[in-house]
Amino acid sequence: MSEFDCQETKKHVHEYLHNELSEQELDDITAHLANCDSCEADYDLESTINNKIEQHCAEVPSEDILDGIKDRLQQILRGEAH
Amino acid sequence: MAGFAMNMPFRVRRLNSSKMTNTETPEARKVRLFEEQALPLMPQLYGVAMNKTKNPTSAEDLVQETMIKAFKAFDQFEQGTNIRAWLYKILNNTNINNSVKESKALGKTALDEMEDWQIGSAESVTSVAARSAEAEAIDAMPSDVVKKALLELPENWRMIVYYRIVEGLAYAEIADVLGIPEGSVMSGLHRGKKMLRHLLLDYAKEEGYKVGEEA
Repeated sequence: MSEFDCQETKKHVHEYLHNELSEQELDDITAHLANCDSCEADYDLESTINNKIEQHCAEVPSEDILDGIKDRLQQILRGEAH
Repeated sequence: MAGFAMNMPFRVRRLNSSKMTNTETPEARKVRLFEEQALPLMPQLYGVAMNKTKNPTSAEDLVQETMIKAFKAFDQFEQGTNIRAWLYKILNNTNINNSVKESKALGKTALDEMEDWQIGSAESVTSVAARSAEAEAIDAMPSDVVKKALLELPENWRMIVYYRIVEGLAYAEIADVLGIPEGSVMSGLHRGKKMLRHLLLDYAKEEGYKVGEEA
């Protein structure tokens, strides 16, 4: 079993939040976070940023835009079929 | 969707697609599968394209070009594998060609050669109190500030952040889509997030939030 110190723990914040670690690593880091306010706050900050990006940065096209692309796509594909 | 299907060049055969699996021609099958699998992903492709090009008109062009290429290459798509990643890969390659043209025209070097955001190996060691103030400040930020900050990242980092956080792709999928090693995905995400944190906290400071100094 490996020991995760603060530096090691902080280094793995993204892999932890994005579930890219082994079970063992996850357990070790979770254990460290439970006892370390500094690392926990660090993880909380990164997680907050992730949530903000997820909420605000998805670019959803309007129906008009989608229809426009479909129309042009259809014309081009039809042009090539003939 | 329906409108697209009705107006496709192969519409006569398309009409009975649900019943005609036995007599369906290869071309009709291709159209049907493309409509079922690729077309519904256009909104996500647009989101990716917007973040790549930073411009609605270019994003539309990029999605359109991607879909045309995808339709032409659709015979080579292996049914049952990840179509989303397959389309992102085509989009990525399409954009690469365009940016090569653009960067040549502008005499620019590739974004990939951009210098790393200055990062110390050790993380900052601010106090817990300062940390939670930072998280609070970021949590309170308006949408346009967050969007703007993401768009300020160099393209390679921005796309890794976008694919991971907004689109939810795993590191291995992102590596596949971008044609880079998984280690580069990981470091790109670290650096991109680090830069984002700086940008957002700078903004927070300007707005008068009491946040700790970043390393």
